[in-house]
Amino acid sequence: MRLKGLDIVIALATAGAVAFAALSAYGPGGGQESAVLKGKGGEWVYPLSTDREVRIAGPLGETVVLIRGRSVRIIDSPCPNKTCIAAGAIDRPGQWLACLPNQVFVSVEGRRKDDGVDASVY
Amino acid sequence: MTASTPPFTDARGKTYADITALLGAFCFFLSALEYMVPKPLPFMRLGIANLPILLAVDLLPLPWYLALALVKVFGMSVISGSLFSYVALFSLAGTLTAAIVMWLARKAAGALISAVGVSILGAVASNAAQMGLAGLVVFGDAVRLIAPPFLAAGLATGAFLGVFAELFTARSAWYARATEETRG
Repeated sequence: MRLKGLDIVIALATAGAVAFAALSAYGPGGGQESAVLKGKGGEWVYPLSTDREVRIAGPLGETVVLIRGRSVRIIDSPCPNKTCIAAGAIDRPGQWLACLPNQVFVSVEGRRKDDGVDASVY
Repeated sequence: MTASTPPFTDARGKTYADITALLGAFCFFLSALEYMVPKPLPFMRLGIANLPILLAVDLLPLPWYLALALVKVFGMSVISGSLFSYVALFSLAGTLTAAIVMWLARKAAGALISAVGVSILGAVASNAAQMGLAGLVVFGDAVRLIAPPFLAAGLATGAFLGVFAELFTARSAWYARATEETRG
């Protein structure tokens, strides 16, 4: 059996594509953070890198979640207290927001980056 | 084969039908073998049932070749019990994409490519099509995370099948006779 020229080109190109896919998925900068939105009707995952506005239906009405500038916040919700709106924006894995009356839960997931200051004292 | 000639009335058409039937049966058998092998992930297969399609690239004209691909999808779905589930859609998408890519690669590159390159292209195309569909239907953006092992598996199984097909076509008396009958 003799391999032809294109066989080798194809094998190498495929190996290259595998390496590239692995790097972009698992390498530095990969495994980017995403916003996980849970509502009564299901669960949705959006990348934090793309700005968008998402409306989630709950028992009281629609909760509006805004993803902008790599952070997530609830900008409107038909609940009495508006605690969820007051909670502001979240942008780090592990942080979460919730609107309990309207049964909406928002969290940031992804690889935790160790580039922030945990705490400081004076 | 023209529209005015029914497929079985001439000797060439009968040869094509015989080869398609035999390779189709071969697909059923290999699908059964494939089904026995444990899979780490639902869609991660050895792809040995693609071997008959790989062999058919040089034997059958396009309509028969595509018919064989459909027979393979049907056989595999019947044997794995997934005919009436969405899994059959994945099988269909993967097999048809692979079949068309392998056909185009063979016809475009001719003597510059052997069954190894054709097979790798087919396996990777099949996996890519299934991941594309998985991204649409099930996983969304997370499909990026499962892509590397799938592509790597495609490279390995594709190369293995290609080497096998090269050795088989070089030695098989049946293949030599079939080649002669379809050309002569």
